[in-house]
Amino acid sequence: MGLFDKLAGWLGLKKKEVNVLCLGLDNSGKTTIINQLKPSNAQAQDIVPTIGFSIEKFKTSSLSFTVFDMSGQGRYRNLWEHYYKEGQAIIFVIDSGDKLRMVVAKEELDTLLNHPDIKHRRIPLLFFANKMDLRDALSAVKVSQLLCLENIKDKPWHICASDAVKGEGLLEGVDWLQDQIRAMKT
Amino acid sequence: MIKKFDKKDEESGSGSNPFQHLEKSAVLQEARIFNETPINPRRCLHILTKIIYLLNQGEHFGTTEATEAFFAMTRLFQSNDQTLRRMCYLTIKEMANISEDVIIVTSSLTKDMTGKEDVYRGPAIRALCRITDTTMLQAIERYMKQAIVDKVPSVSSSALVSSLHMVKMSFDVVKRWVNEAQEAASSDNIMVQYHALGLLYHLRKNDRLAVTKMLNKFTKSGLKSPFAYCMMIRIASKLLEETEGGHDSPLFDFIESCLRNKHEMVVYEAASAIVHMPNCTARELAPAVSVLQLFCSSPKAALRYAAVRTLNKVAMKHPSAVTACNLDLENLITDSNRSIATLAITTLLKTGSESSVDRLMKQISSFVSEISDEFKVVVVQAISALCQKYPRKHSVMMNFLSNMLRDDGGFEYKRAIVDCIISIIEENPESKETGLAHLCEFIEDCEHTVLATKILHLLGKEGPRTPTPSKYIRFIFNRVVLESEAVRAAAVSALAKFGAQNDDLLPSVLVLMQRCMMDSDDEVRDRATFYMNVLQQKQKALNAAYIFNGLSVSVLGLEKSLHQYTLEPSEKPFDMKTVPLATAPITEHKTEIAPVATSKLPEKLAPSRQDIYQEQLSAIPEFQGLGPLFKSSEPVQLTEAETEYVVRCIKHTFANHMIFQFDCTNTLNDQLLQKVLVQMEPSESYEVLHYVPAANLPYSQPGSCYSLVRLPEDDPTAVSCTFSCTMKYLVRDCDPNTGEPDDDGYDDEYVLEDLEVTVADHIQKVLKPNFAAAWDEVGDECEKEETFALATVRTLDEAVNNIVSFLGMQPCERSDKVPENKNSHVLFLAGVFRGGHDVLVRARLALADGVTIQVTVRSTDDNVVDVILASVG
Ligand SMILES: Nc1nc2c(ncn2[C@@H]2O[C@H](COP(=O)(O)OP(=O)(O)O)[C@@H](O)[C@H]2O)c(=O)[nH]1
Ligand SMILES: [Mg+2]
Repeated sequence: MGLFDKLAGWLGLKKKEVNVLCLGLDNSGKTTIINQLKPSNAQAQDIVPTIGFSIEKFKTSSLSFTVFDMSGQGRYRNLWEHYYKEGQAIIFVIDSGDKLRMVVAKEELDTLLNHPDIKHRRIPLLFFANKMDLRDALSAVKVSQLLCLENIKDKPWHICASDAVKGEGLLEGVDWLQDQIRAMKT
Repeated sequence: MIKKFDKKDEESGSGSNPFQHLEKSAVLQEARIFNETPINPRRCLHILTKIIYLLNQGEHFGTTEATEAFFAMTRLFQSNDQTLRRMCYLTIKEMANISEDVIIVTSSLTKDMTGKEDVYRGPAIRALCRITDTTMLQAIERYMKQAIVDKVPSVSSSALVSSLHMVKMSFDVVKRWVNEAQEAASSDNIMVQYHALGLLYHLRKNDRLAVTKMLNKFTKSGLKSPFAYCMMIRIASKLLEETEGGHDSPLFDFIESCLRNKHEMVVYEAASAIVHMPNCTARELAPAVSVLQLFCSSPKAALRYAAVRTLNKVAMKHPSAVTACNLDLENLITDSNRSIATLAITTLLKTGSESSVDRLMKQISSFVSEISDEFKVVVVQAISALCQKYPRKHSVMMNFLSNMLRDDGGFEYKRAIVDCIISIIEENPESKETGLAHLCEFIEDCEHTVLATKILHLLGKEGPRTPTPSKYIRFIFNRVVLESEAVRAAAVSALAKFGAQNDDLLPSVLVLMQRCMMDSDDEVRDRATFYMNVLQQKQKALNAAYIFNGLSVSVLGLEKSLHQYTLEPSEKPFDMKTVPLATAPITEHKTEIAPVATSKLPEKLAPSRQDIYQEQLSAIPEFQGLGPLFKSSEPVQLTEAETEYVVRCIKHTFANHMIFQFDCTNTLNDQLLQKVLVQMEPSESYEVLHYVPAANLPYSQPGSCYSLVRLPEDDPTAVSCTFSCTMKYLVRDCDPNTGEPDDDGYDDEYVLEDLEVTVADHIQKVLKPNFAAAWDEVGDECEKEETFALATVRTLDEAVNNIVSFLGMQPCERSDKVPENKNSHVLFLAGVFRGGHDVLVRARLALADGVTIQVTVRSTDDNVVDVILASVG
């Protein structure tokens, strides 16, 4: 860190930076969520399926987030692990209307939690039960049951229902994440 | 640019290159800092530079380590440092083919290419296209189309050039971008316009009509970019050449009009295109030459260079046009740019009169030591051309060449000189001894194995037949003592030839051979032992077969036959007759302007054309058991050039059969031909056994069908036959755009031109380096002689050419060249007749009223002698 950066940090001008991984099956709404969180002048007009990954940045009141928005398509999922070491937090997005693939989402989540780069780290996990606006969407409670979230004992986690298109429920989640990270760091 | 960041590294490195002693493993270790947050752009940049440096030095990266480094690099996209980001693009391009899963950066790159930062957009496109394959291309197609018509020139150019690269891989996808490319072609930016033209051309270049239309359109509407004009000139002259279009064509008018363009680049391109065209009249040439002449006195060195280089290239083709520039060329002799001076002098040498040779040669000698090897080769080529033109000047030239040979210089340069001396020796028998002496001196201190063995081979061939052969022995034997294995082996072979030819040298050669038998190298020892045993027999026939003329089989064929033999061992000894003959990479005399430039090293194990045919034919089940392929003819055209179907035939001769291979091309884009075969009706008792049709013949994709014919067994002299040929096939009409054929079709046929089989199809050329020895070896048991008169032939040259091409045999001892002002000549021809019989022809020609020829034929088989005489008569 350059002297100016240090000074700025000390004076509280510069926000603490955190790296977050955004994971989940394809079409669950990851890119849409991240896009919503960005300042409105930096938001993309149309969201296209992600190929590989894309790095996005946004700020909250006290933190500066760098998000690795990963592609959720089957053939790219095994590439997630390249970035596990980076992540100081994970946002895991579930399409709560996609009941059929709920088991697939659970499988991917289990693989993630058992990965050596994740397993023994106490990093916060934020779940979005996204697309809550869909008529047959499952509730956040139902989703957390299906994913057996209660079994996660060694990491702080939180789930909230969201509608990424309208931007509902997102801030609640991000506030929780911010608190967790600040609690960890200090 | 990067260097200034890291002064310390630079100081610790030796010399001026800070990257000299990089270790791959250490660099990859350092690359771990890519994973650290926050990112330090300065250090990361430096490490990326090191990685790219190593890659460009040819350092091998394993897939795992490359992939690891690549993924670490992807994290650098977090940083907004511009230089770092652009270095990432470069790294992506370099690693695209060595790392796995490079598509991981696709979204990151599409984001940059569509983003607000213009400096990222072009490079991101170029990187993206490197990591994208045909399946992924669809996903970015929309962005590519937008980028092609983007208003920022660097973005548009990048997209166009990347598309051009993608054409090779995904023609069908890129084809859909034609409209966007068309729009870019009307851009105001000269580079965008040029790149757009390039893409449009490459999308259409297989469709001559479309290219013509495109040219028409652009020549009418006019383009801004001089680069685009240069390209149009090239396309136009290529079209003219392919269509053999006359000079009244609008294409020629276009090129000519470019001589008046306001950009020098375009003017030069047009002039160069015109002077390179075949058959230009003096009038058409004149304006182009005067442009070049004008450039010769330009203050810009690049223009002078371009002009004189072009004049140099066409000097032999258009001597009179080039002489018109003599005065300007003379001025350039003293040009301070040595490359220009060299080209000027050598051009003058090529076109100058015999009297100016001495003066020009003196001029060259004054600075030959100052010019680079590349230009020295140009000088040697000029000398070589000059020797052909003024044979009387060979002593001046030889002198000059021998001096050059003593100078320092690289392999290419030395080879050019050696080749030139050899060709002078071959053209001028009286220069032989001087030439050989120079070459002997050269091999005393020659670091190039290839040249030393080549010269030793020549000494073995020519030395024994000079008045004092003994003087070469010392030079050759010195090689046995001093040189590497390959040279020693060549020296042993050369020595053997002296022993075989000269009885009085034989005893001393045997003594030397004895010493060679103790050589430390297997090959040298084997050769010495072999020659020793042959020489000790003192039999002319043995010497001829095993020392002078050697084996004439195809090396690849021999390897295969031997392998086959070892797989199925039998009581019978291996039969050399089952091995296909070598086909002529043999020193055929070329009448090219610069023989030096064309004589490339023979690539040792590249299969010959015939080896390839042998392989292809033996893969067809119907053609099993025919024995080795004896001869494949040159292709014979059976249709006119611009017809619906283009068919050519290659005649393959076997011991008792012939296979006719018809290479067919369907030039109609609305037809698919199926079950294509060529039906043949022979005029003699040749029997068609089998047709192997071509299953499918889609538009513009060549396909082959075959006919198998049995040669008449009862009459071995029936060597010629005429076949009438008809192509038969099923037509299925199809959609020209999609190539989708209709469900049903109809039978149709197409009459082709007649196909002739002649005596030449039954004889394979074989070069006998020592014809006299071969003549004795075959002997006069079956010799026959007859005299013919050719009333219509006017010159000996013409008669010689007729006989050679009619019999299809190999001229030996360069006897196909008739010396000037002679009225008699002897021609020696050698070959092998189908079935493996050697056949030799000696033709004595005399010029009187027409030409009288006395033909003497020797062979190991009576029938063959009769066949030859019957077909000549
Ligand atoms: N109805 C609804 N659609 C959403 C919501 N979030 C995302 N989508 C849509 O889901 C599709 C996939 O979104 P995307 O962000 O690309 O998913 P990703 O593959 O996880 O990045 C897009 O068409 C979005 O518009 C949501 O909360 N409600
Ligand atoms: Mg996405």
